[in-house]
Amino acid sequence: MVFELGEENSDLSGAGGCEPCQVDESEGDSGAESVEVSRRGFLKLAGFGAAVGATVGVSGGCDADLGLVAKNPSGGGGWLPDQYNASGNFPVQVRGRVPIDPTNPSIKRDDQKCILCGQCVEVCSKVETVMHNYELPLIDDIPCVCCGQCTLWCPTGAISEVDDTHLLMRAIEDPNLHVVIQTAPSTRVALGEEFGLPVGTNVEGCQVAALNRIGVDKIFDTNFSADLTIMEEGTELVKRITGEIKTPLPQLTSCCPGWVKFCEYFYPDLIPHLSSAKSPMTMLGAMIKTYYAEKSNIDPKKIFSVAIMPCTAKKFEAIRPEMNHSGIKNGDPTIRDIDLVLTTRELAKLIKRVGLDFVNLPPMKYDSLLSEYSGAGAIFGVTGGVMEAAVRTAYHLLAGEPPKSLLNLEPVRGLAGVKEAKLNIPNVGDVKIAVVSGLHNSHKILERIRNGSGDWHFVEFMACPGGCISGGGQPRSAVPPSDAVRSARINSLYSADEKSTIRLSHENHEIKTIYKDYLGKPNGELPHELLHTHYTDRSKHLTAKIKKTGSEEK
Amino acid sequence: MSKGVLVNLTKCIGCGGCTVACKMYNDNKWVDDRSPSSGENAQLADENWTVVKQFKLFKNDDTQVWRFVKHQCLHCQSPSCVSACFARAFQKTDEGAVVYFPDNCVGCRYCMIACPFKVPKFEWQTPIPVVTKCVMCYGRLKDGKSPACVSVCPEGVMKFGERESLLREAKETIANDSRYVKHIYGEEEAGGTSWIYISDVPFEKIGFNTNVVKKPLPSYTSFYMKCTPIFGAIWVIILTAFYFITKRRNTIKKQSAELSYKKTTENNSDQNQNLPENKIVDKKIE
Amino acid sequence: MESEVENVPFRFSITFIRVLLFLLALFAFGVVAVRFLFGLSAVTNLNDDWPWGLWIGFDVMCGVALAGGGYGTALLVHVFHIERFRPIARGAMLTSLIGYLLVMAGLFLDIGRWWNFWRPFVSWGHDSVLFEVFWCISAYTIIQVLEFCEIITERIFRAFHKIFVAIFPVLVIVGVAVPMMHQASLGGLYLLMDGRLHPFWWSPIIFVFFLLSSFYVGPAMIVLESAVGGKILQHAVSIDVLKRLARIGGVVMLIYLILRATDLILRNEIGNLLGDSYEVFAFRAEVVIGLIIPIFIVFSPLSNNRAWLIVYGLCASLGVFLNRLNVVVTGMAREMGSFYYPTIYEIAVSVGLVAAGILVYMFICENFKIVEE
Repeated sequence: MVFELGEENSDLSGAGGCEPCQVDESEGDSGAESVEVSRRGFLKLAGFGAAVGATVGVSGGCDADLGLVAKNPSGGGGWLPDQYNASGNFPVQVRGRVPIDPTNPSIKRDDQKCILCGQCVEVCSKVETVMHNYELPLIDDIPCVCCGQCTLWCPTGAISEVDDTHLLMRAIEDPNLHVVIQTAPSTRVALGEEFGLPVGTNVEGCQVAALNRIGVDKIFDTNFSADLTIMEEGTELVKRITGEIKTPLPQLTSCCPGWVKFCEYFYPDLIPHLSSAKSPMTMLGAMIKTYYAEKSNIDPKKIFSVAIMPCTAKKFEAIRPEMNHSGIKNGDPTIRDIDLVLTTRELAKLIKRVGLDFVNLPPMKYDSLLSEYSGAGAIFGVTGGVMEAAVRTAYHLLAGEPPKSLLNLEPVRGLAGVKEAKLNIPNVGDVKIAVVSGLHNSHKILERIRNGSGDWHFVEFMACPGGCISGGGQPRSAVPPSDAVRSARINSLYSADEKSTIRLSHENHEIKTIYKDYLGKPNGELPHELLHTHYTDRSKHLTAKIKKTGSEEK
Repeated sequence: MSKGVLVNLTKCIGCGGCTVACKMYNDNKWVDDRSPSSGENAQLADENWTVVKQFKLFKNDDTQVWRFVKHQCLHCQSPSCVSACFARAFQKTDEGAVVYFPDNCVGCRYCMIACPFKVPKFEWQTPIPVVTKCVMCYGRLKDGKSPACVSVCPEGVMKFGERESLLREAKETIANDSRYVKHIYGEEEAGGTSWIYISDVPFEKIGFNTNVVKKPLPSYTSFYMKCTPIFGAIWVIILTAFYFITKRRNTIKKQSAELSYKKTTENNSDQNQNLPENKIVDKKIE
Repeated sequence: MESEVENVPFRFSITFIRVLLFLLALFAFGVVAVRFLFGLSAVTNLNDDWPWGLWIGFDVMCGVALAGGGYGTALLVHVFHIERFRPIARGAMLTSLIGYLLVMAGLFLDIGRWWNFWRPFVSWGHDSVLFEVFWCISAYTIIQVLEFCEIITERIFRAFHKIFVAIFPVLVIVGVAVPMMHQASLGGLYLLMDGRLHPFWWSPIIFVFFLLSSFYVGPAMIVLESAVGGKILQHAVSIDVLKRLARIGGVVMLIYLILRATDLILRNEIGNLLGDSYEVFAFRAEVVIGLIIPIFIVFSPLSNNRAWLIVYGLCASLGVFLNRLNVVVTGMAREMGSFYYPTIYEIAVSVGLVAAGILVYMFICENFKIVEE
């Protein structure tokens, strides 16, 4: 190639500038024509090319817009709630949503239903004071006390309990499993709402009947173990007051798993104040796999223990690692006290799926052995109920006489967030108590306990406003839940208490029997093994925000 | 003039509200079964214009921490997708958003190759696909509203404003708080991006590509493209010159050959005249 | 004489190979139908990590390069007027035309919004290298069709023949300039990939590499094609012509090799060639097969042997094929975090396109004056 070019150069020097055309012309006819045309064509083309090149190169912004260039950008085809449609960085007050860990045992969210109304954030940060009450960045946890209030506030049902109904059906269908179920005090006054009954209707009998129809082998009442809890917790309180045990006063209740987790997160220093008594659900769970298993000669491994609860946090409580006291007692730590927790809503779902005519079911009674309850146990589901029940028995234990005047302890009743009372108990003097429901109300009490300025003996905490009757697993009767609904359910439980012949836990016959036959003395050795627990400091998973005084937020 | 968003990753709690806002405002489908929009497996996809990805990492080799990273188009100051698109389907607006005009798009996917952050995605499953990506809610931006994801964030992770002032704020924040990594992601990456990030854990540990070149990527090709028309013209001129020069040289050669041939074979011209003539009149064989 | 030519019917002899090729093309057609009905994911392994796969890497990148023989030969024959290569000019330009039509077909399959293919004509993204590629490939294909019309009109529509003869020189000149630009620009597409395309392949002058390799692969393809085609069509190009052609390719190859080595040295990458990653392996394979072996053959007495020239053609073409695939797939794999393998259907479409191309080539060779002048 190269050498040929050289050759051609020498030729060029030999001939003159414009000669080739002439040579071409002189040479054949058609050949000349092609050269002529091509040169002209080339000049035209070069001119055109140069023009285009110059336009593009120089302007650098040429857009041959012939109306064919699209003007509709992608995106923006949907909508956003009005609250977000303000200009600039306008501070939207109610916005976003709560974070939910996909591994959260209690609640889940269907993103497709979420409309970012911000209600979950409102209830979580303002009523339960969890979200926005820890410093960022996060550590290794999405703090959640599992109370499930957000499921009640969510207007679209995007947030709901983790649905475990299939696990119950699977267990029922398994011929090797003996399915034992317990129902919490508050489910009976709310379940009927799912079937069109007036708010607060007590459907205890229908509930038992429905569970029986579904195919459960044994149905016990958590009200019974509420009485059991009172025996243990009341005894513990008396021992703290009398100084028999060295744990500090005030004693804080421990039957609300949402509150317990809250305390472990935000007030780990107050864990010694928590009553070591387990909650009624886990106490009954332990009894079922020990006492009941022994009595009826069933292998505890084959018992599938289910709890119907008004509460999503109970799902979390059931899987707490230490809730295997019956397993340890039976020599197999893999045995859990409770195998499955279903919320009231899940039970309703199940009844509907099975196709029962719930309202018209002939009522049935609980199975005996672990079901009898006193009025004290019945009111466990309302705010102040645990306190009232405990006080009745503690009074008896301290004063040695029945607490006639305290049977209707009005100061701790009602929907106020914080209720306080002073009781005069013979032999002891003034006993100061407080009742808190809704975790945002807890801070000022807890801060006072923390700095030593609180002189209460016993404080009841319930995470959900109004207590378990308005728990995160209860039917969505109003969104967000209204006090009217709460009051109706509360009154229903109080009337159950009033109607009951036995109103003191220690007078419950089955309670007496179980202590006589099996447990021995309250707070004794076996009760400690089966009915008491310990707590976990969770403060290393979050950085709690320092509360200034905690009182001005109301 | 150019808007931006400052993302403070330390504040993100992983609620994923931003991903919901994005889907709602842009009417995108939920495709969590193949591409989750939040969680540890979250990934941008044709229908996921923004995702919140969870990272569980060890901060100082001992303590595990969780971090959540919102990912979406970073809206480069000099976007390579815009410079890569030969049909102007991507355009950078004055507000700072890089928007997409589906009607211009040919579907060649060069933008996906060109993007250093792997943001543009493609609808592989349909016969009439589009390329998709976050467009910074351009419809809202035009009206002075912040992007949907920014407006819904309950923790104020994202701040919307002028990029310059946000950059200043970010610099101040990381200078005054020792917990922050001394790096503003997006300040220089790919020549700077409209969305900028600050974090308390190293960016490379939470899924950021920290090897992105600092030079604006379009600068690689703009010079090349500027030169192209000139080169084209030069080529044509050179080739034409060669065409005529070599053509003439051949003719001369032939002529001289012919001459010498004529001289040597003047006598028996009848037999051999045809041969060279055929060669000269090239391609006229009809 | 003229009427005689016109009256001869078109012929196309059927052989076993041709039936096979036809079946391959038919299968590809079926796959293409599925692709258009159900989207790209139905037949390809392409995904968001791998937006470009075999169809771009082979059909387009390699197709354009391998079809580069056309402009190279046009340059030698019609611009430099080197008459000894004239016998191969038409064949090379026909291959190139068919190659480009296949590239167009491949592109059409690959682009998602094919009905919008005309948009870049009205909506100018002129900062994009692809814009230049698009315009140049479009222009060049049209020019090649026009160039080919000069051959067609020898037999049919003969009234137009004069016009095509007249404009042929213009077509040739533009038709050489334009492909030189877009051959380079195909490499230019990857200028943006600094820090992402593996440094063995990324280079600030990657477009020069693409241009040079497209130039030397032309002779290689012509050598191959005339060897194979000559056998089938009973027409042998003289070994001397092929050897000289291969030598020209060899010189360009040598320049290319030196440039690439210099580039690697200047960017301090040469030491990394001692590693044992898959990139190193791919790079070595590309250089040894595609450069060292052909250069050795062409500058040694082996080049007098037709069989060795075919080996030369094979190696050089394979080398360019490897180079393009390395740029599109191997060099990007580390950055993409996963590896891409074409599905059987993607391969079938690529093979089917080539099969269709060969059939068309055969048909034209049998019916038009391609192989001799």
